[in-house]
Amino acid sequence: MATTKLGFIVQRPPYKSENPKLALTHAIASQSVEVYLNDGDVVTADVAFIGDGVLNCLKDQKAMEQYDLSSTESHIKMGLLVDLNILVCKEDLEKLGLTENDIVLDAEEFGADLKINVVPYQDINKMMEEMNHLLFF
Amino acid sequence: MKLAAFVSDYRMTVDTLERLKPEKLGIILVGNGVYHATIKENGSASLLLNTAADFYALSEDLETRGLSSSSVDSKVKVVTYGDVVDLIFNDYDKTAWI
Repeated sequence: MATTKLGFIVQRPPYKSENPKLALTHAIASQSVEVYLNDGDVVTADVAFIGDGVLNCLKDQKAMEQYDLSSTESHIKMGLLVDLNILVCKEDLEKLGLTENDIVLDAEEFGADLKINVVPYQDINKMMEEMNHLLFF
Repeated sequence: MKLAAFVSDYRMTVDTLERLKPEKLGIILVGNGVYHATIKENGSASLLLNTAADFYALSEDLETRGLSSSSVDSKVKVVTYGDVVDLIFNDYDKTAWI
């Protein structure tokens, strides 16, 4: 019985490329691999938004209305729904003049229990040290 | 030359804009370029907005990213796709994608 910990680090802003959204889809997909694992083996995924990546977390994104495109915001909420641990760097939010009021913090409308954690970079660094594999987007 | 330059990145890796000296310059912020119009990094507006130019930001791309028109810098005019077409045909001779 083993636990494999995956860490997805998003450092780019959304929409210019699919890159940040891929981090989320990969992290979400990682929670549906049980059929390929041995009994008792588990894969966990943490997602951290740092640098310009924190811009992915702005709320009220209207990608569907404007471009018929699922928003990065909705992907983040799906991540919470499958119990991903999602972290946002506090210092990088502040650097860009943003506060917790500007970003998605929960997905209560979908029934998600977890919330986004806005944490100092030190905590994200600690998370990265605990992971078995790190993937940067 | 009257030039309309489209800027679609937040982090600029080229200095072409600084070297261009058209008679009239319009900078149209689209895609991730719209962050120049709204984000105050370390409390300061984007250095791009110090360029001698008329600035426009595409409303569709602001809204897609969860940015409201009220957060747009006063130097920047929020425009629609239709407005951009009018700018290209009526106000500028040439366009460039930076």
